[in-house]
Formats: sequence, C-alpha cells, structure tokens
Amino acid sequence: MIRKLTFLAVSAVIAFGALSFDLPQSTEDPGDRLIGIWEPSNGRSRIKIDRIGNKYYGRVVWLIEPNDADGNPRTDINNPNPDLRNVPLRGFRMCKDFVYQGEDQWSEGTLYDPNNGSTYQGTITMRDINTLDMRGYIGVEAIGRTDVWKRLKMPSKKK
Amino acid sequence: MPVFAQTDGTADDDIDWSLYEDLGFEDESIKRYANAKIEGLSPAKLISLGYDFQGPYGITPGDLNRADGSTVVGGDEMQVNSTSGIRAEFNLPVVSQTNLVWQMGANYWNTSYNYAETPSASDNPLHQTLSEHGLRTSGINTTVYKPLDEEQFILFQGSADMSGTYGSSLMPTQYLKYSAAALWGKRPTEKKQWGVGLARTYRVGELNYIPVILYNKTSANNKWGTEALFPARVHVRRTINPRNMVFLGYELQGQSFRMYENLPGFDLRDEDLEIRRGEIRVRAVYEFSLKNFIWMSVQAGYRINYRYDVDRLVSGPDIYRAFGLIDGTPDYAQLNGLTNPFYVNVSVNLVSP
Repeated sequence: MIRKLTFLAVSAVIAFGALSFDLPQSTEDPGDRLIGIWEPSNGRSRIKIDRIGNKYYGRVVWLIEPNDADGNPRTDINNPNPDLRNVPLRGFRMCKDFVYQGEDQWSEGTLYDPNNGSTYQGTITMRDINTLDMRGYIGVEAIGRTDVWKRLKMPSKKK
Repeated sequence: MPVFAQTDGTADDDIDWSLYEDLGFEDESIKRYANAKIEGLSPAKLISLGYDFQGPYGITPGDLNRADGSTVVGGDEMQVNSTSGIRAEFNLPVVSQTNLVWQMGANYWNTSYNYAETPSASDNPLHQTLSEHGLRTSGINTTVYKPLDEEQFILFQGSADMSGTYGSSLMPTQYLKYSAAALWGKRPTEKKQWGVGLARTYRVGELNYIPVILYNKTSANNKWGTEALFPARVHVRRTINPRNMVFLGYELQGQSFRMYENLPGFDLRDEDLEIRRGEIRVRAVYEFSLKNFIWMSVQAGYRINYRYDVDRLVSGPDIYRAFGLIDGTPDYAQLNGLTNPFYVNVSVNLVSP
C-alpha cells in the first residue's frame, strides 16, 4: 500500500514538473506578455507593441482609413510641431517608454493621440492575456480616460 | 517632444503592412462596440470654472396672485444693470470601458441681479427677492453610455438640481428637480452619430416631456461639424485645428427656482412659489487650448427670454401643461416680462484626454 502511494506521489510530481515546463511564461520576462498586436476600442487602428531594451513601444501598423481625402497616405496633421506634420501615421510610434512594474502593470510611458495631437501620461494594465486597459491621464491618474485594447492574432507570413 | 523618432532600426519600406489587414481577435468571443465619441468632436469638459455676465435689461412684473386670494399689483419695469455669476461644473469618469462608460458630475451656478435702483419694500416682491437673494442652482448628474454592438448605443443622462433663492445653506430635498433623458442611437461611421429619445426637462422653466434628437457629424476634411442635442442645443462647428474651434448656434437654458428666502414683511416661503425661467441663448463660441488640456471658452451672444413666470406649487407636486395642450391646469401666479440683453460667458476648462 505504502509502495503504491509513493509511486502515485512521485508520478504526480513528475507530471506537474512536466506541465510547468510547458508554460511559456515560465521562461520569458513577464513584461513581454505585452508584446503583440492590439486593437483600440474604436477599431480604427492596430498597434504593434515591441520591446526595445527594457522598454515597450507601440507603433501603428494598420489604419481603417490609410489615406486622406486626396488619396495620399495620412500623416500626423494635428501634431503641435509643424515640422512633424508630414510624418506618416502608418508606422507611427504612439506608445513610448513603458516599463514593466510587475503585477500586470506597465507605466512611465506616454500615449499620443493623433486625432488631436495630444500626448498623455499613460499606464497599461493587463486585465487578462488578451485585454489591456490603456489609461491616458493628465497629471494625476484620476483625471483621465481608459481605453480597452484587445489582442489580435499574430499575422502569418505571406508566401 | 521627441514622440516620433522611429528608433527600432526597422525601415518602414521593409515592412509588409498588408500582413496586418485581416486579423481576428485572439479571443474569438470578443465583440467590437460603438465608441462613445466621433472623430473631430469638441473635447469633453472634466472641470469647468466660468463667469457669466448679462448686460442691461428690464423686468416688468405682473400682478402676483397670493395664496390667500389677494393680489400684489405688478408695478413698473425696473432696470437691471447686469446679471452675473459663476458657473462651476465637474465631470469625472467612473467607468470607462469598451462596453460601458459611466460619468458622474456636479454643478453650481450663481446669478446675482444688480438693479439700477435697489428695490424697496414698496416694489414688487419679485424685484426684492432677485435683488436681495439672486438665484442659485446646485446639482449632481450622471451619464451612462452603453453600446449594444458596433453601431447601436443607448445614452442616459439624469440630474437632480436644487434651484432657488436660497443662501449659504441648501433647501430641503423636497425641492429637488429631477431631469432625465434616454436615447437610442447609431454610429454608422467614425464621423457621424445620431439618436432619438425622450427627455423630462425644465429647460424652458416648467416641467416638460419632449422628444430629443442627438446628431453629431464631422465633415470628410474635419473642418466642419455639427454638434446637436435638439432642442436643448444645436451648434455648427468650424475646426480651425483640433486645438481651436468656433461654434455658432443656440442653447436653451432654464430651471424652476423656488422662492425660498422670506422678505421683510412678506412671508414668501409660505406662498409656495417657483420662478419658471427659460431662455434661449443665441451665440458664437470660441474654444481653444491654452496649454495642453487646459482650454478656454469664450462665448458671446443674445439672451432671449422665453419665460420668467411664477407658478404656485403647493406641497411640491409639479404642474405639467404640455405647452398649454392640457386643459384645466392652474394659471400662473404671476406673468412677467423681460427685455433681452447681450451676454458674455468665459470659462477655463480641463478637458478629457
């Protein structure tokens, strides 16, 4: 009987160890769960978040309206700096300098809204692996707005 | 502000953007919802501190029919040099999710009447109470935006306001006035949203139930737009740039003000009277960013009196007249006339990101 129980216990430990080994998070920096392609709540754009050094950056990779009324690629026409109004929106880095703080939170970064040319302080909270709360705020977090971003499937390379 | 430097070493020419075109959600149960805003809309005000000033005009009181059946004779027109007061409003988001936006707010309006000649005890009590106490409104409000799917949404706005001639302490809660509006709407494109609904409102002074139409639209080049919640307000917008906007239009403003504070020798409180004030403000508004999210709003226009009559509300229950369509409703206790002045309103605002 004791031999049987010992066998079961050893089997369980081995099985649990094997299971743990399969979890992708166990071998990655937990902050890297932010990496991926995300869609803001208005569905007008898609943002690809990457890591550069130990910070996270998001750039626009898709726009529902990629061209302006004249058929030219849309640029950052609302930028307060006139010299930057010709920068194309596609490829544009709108999230900058986010640092993982632990407990599913990234902060110290900024969010840029090309609709009005405003830059906000930002925090990112991962509600679940496929959902982000992107909070832009002014000075104190209480005065701000949260947008919910959803994770998109990674694209497969075209042949 | 070096927001735009592309420093990841990937030249944009090397990126196949088409890879990102047809992507589904990782979690296939996720739905897309209609956003509460449209492109180009003027920014929502989180905190607003302003000052309102109306130029000279005249008030001619009618005869006041008292509760005991006697009458106070109306008297001559008296000149008001100015009417002015602060306007403070606060709106803070409580829930801001893709599938629900909930906001709570508070407001305080104060209106002081500066008569050319200070009314005396021999003048009509309307003049006396306006000169001595002015009008105040303190209120709380809530707004709930609930998208149903990618196009449809429901909007609810509710408020409780205490309006009257009270001083530093509030009136009993039985004098609160409740307003509400519920709309169903659609957002067919990123630049247009519309809705239809019903409102319970005191905007023309007395209680009314009226249909409301929401219509917000931005032109293809983002230079022009319409912001309307008809009939409460309608504005045409000219966007010089996202930090400078000019509006032309009108707003209905009004409330029912309890005549709460007594006058020397006149027990006004026991008369159960309310001033039904409703006015139309035809105006031009210039809103611009002073710095980042601090905006200034300067408006100038013409205040057109719609109603400044006095109702008797015994024990609180309101009178619903449906613009005179309902027979047998009580007459006003006092019918007053106001001439119309120009006005200006200046406010500094903290706007929403």
